[in-house]
Amino acid sequence: MPLPGVPILEDKYPSTMDPYPLEAKEFNRIHQFYENLRRKRFTTTKCKKCGHVPFPPRVICPECNSEDLEWVDLPTRGKVLYFTEEVAGVPLGFDSPLIHALIDLGEGRNLLSRIINCKQGQLKEGDKVQLAVFDVPPMIIEVKGAIKEEKRVFFAFEPVKK
Amino acid sequence: MTGRDVCIIAGGMSRWGIREASLVDMAQEVAKDCFDDIPALKRKDVDGFLFASSFCGRIAFQVNIAQVIAERIGIKPTNMCTRVDTLCAGGSSGIILATGLIRSGMADIVMVAGGEKLYTPQRWETYYSQIASEDHDWDGAQGIGLPLPWFAMTSQAHMKLYGTKKEQLAAVSVKNRRNAANNPTAHFQKAVTLDEVMAARPIVPPLSLFDCCPVTDGCAAVILTHADKARELTDRPLVYIRGTAQVALHSMSMNWPGEHPADWPHLRAAAKSAYETAGIGPGNIDVAMTHDCFTISEIIEMEELGFCKKGEGGPFVESGQSDFGGKIPVNTDGGLLACGHPFGGTGIRQAHEILQQLQGRAINQVEGAKIGLTHNLSGLNAEHTILIYAREP
Repeated sequence: MPLPGVPILEDKYPSTMDPYPLEAKEFNRIHQFYENLRRKRFTTTKCKKCGHVPFPPRVICPECNSEDLEWVDLPTRGKVLYFTEEVAGVPLGFDSPLIHALIDLGEGRNLLSRIINCKQGQLKEGDKVQLAVFDVPPMIIEVKGAIKEEKRVFFAFEPVKK
Repeated sequence: MTGRDVCIIAGGMSRWGIREASLVDMAQEVAKDCFDDIPALKRKDVDGFLFASSFCGRIAFQVNIAQVIAERIGIKPTNMCTRVDTLCAGGSSGIILATGLIRSGMADIVMVAGGEKLYTPQRWETYYSQIASEDHDWDGAQGIGLPLPWFAMTSQAHMKLYGTKKEQLAAVSVKNRRNAANNPTAHFQKAVTLDEVMAARPIVPPLSLFDCCPVTDGCAAVILTHADKARELTDRPLVYIRGTAQVALHSMSMNWPGEHPADWPHLRAAAKSAYETAGIGPGNIDVAMTHDCFTISEIIEMEELGFCKKGEGGPFVESGQSDFGGKIPVNTDGGLLACGHPFGGTGIRQAHEILQQLQGRAINQVEGAKIGLTHNLSGLNAEHTILIYAREP
């Protein structure tokens, strides 16, 4: 039986309960990261002045204060350094076992990511994994009383088929 | 250090666990316990109030909560009243900030309280809200809440590099649960055996149920003032804030500073700074409260705080060196594993226990303790906070 919930929120989009970023350009100056992701590109910002390449992407260079940044590609394949299979306490919206890996992307860069398309017991240390981009529910934006659905993607990594 | 010497003069606790109470209710309980602990102090003389809470904005649906609580507990701070949020270290951050206010003369008597109401009417919301704990857009969206996967990887790394065994992790849980068996405010007041810990259900292997601190509701409070005022208000031995340090890098899974997950250079940096400001070394600490959010954390903290060599944390805890009668008794009230971990409250609970230890009135007393240390890690283990308390300034 459905619960009554909070009646005044029926048919509302509470963005404070949204597990994914508010990616739309109206709310996010690194909107381009998600646009690139949609094209299967895994990117970050590089400072054109001092060459610093931080991840996650920035709107201002944290090394030299420059606002002159460009988008550059990061590797989309890496090697599993450590991985875990979370069997209890998995947050709503994620299935158990929830698999995470610390991935060596090369270039001295490590990344902790969820691993999808992978069965429990399948992953091994040293395995190759690759970027996986998938659709997530749209975010809802109200513009002058009209409702706009902004499509979204997010990313995880998946085992490279042997 | 210039300025006035700062003392912690009173502490208040109430029951931690799954509480049939709101955050504002529990704050009133601990304020009462704190004022009961120092009868000469009048509410009107408290001129500063810091309340440490991370989840009040989300779960209690209440921001600007320090003002709400100040009114409920009957104080009217004239110098500072604000909320502090550094997740797991919020309480300790509050004590460090209060020390600065008092040392500089900007405030005279400051109450630092804190805690969380984490259990919601439907349990999913408690766990779901935890994805706000790390960098939301990057870690939350990957299903990382409170960072169990990270500490499971940390355990794997320590096991692989140093030969640490699951039984050594379990020894931390057995010790801390036993220490809380006579602590009337702890979430769990029942000892567990090594066999029970080893047989517990897995959470994120190699971590199982007793390797992880529980989700807990609770609050704690302490009072700080300068040494002259402290002598006016109490006949108990004075306990001074002797050293402080906080090294904060970020709150996310990226950009880890160590060579591997079991290498915590930012804790070493914080420890060095805290020992230097206190003018002591790790060998001078008589009792320590370290952040045992997971059993592996306490093991690595023994190493990075300098109580044992790097890689020897497993044998150190297994052989009783972190227990009564050992080199340094750790988490004498049960720690996070047994008391629970209502984030903003934890550093204050630790301070409360150290105050009692250094005044010789703790439930599980370390005989003759003169110098105590508290430590918190925060978020995705990217921030370390240390306080050193001592009977001499």
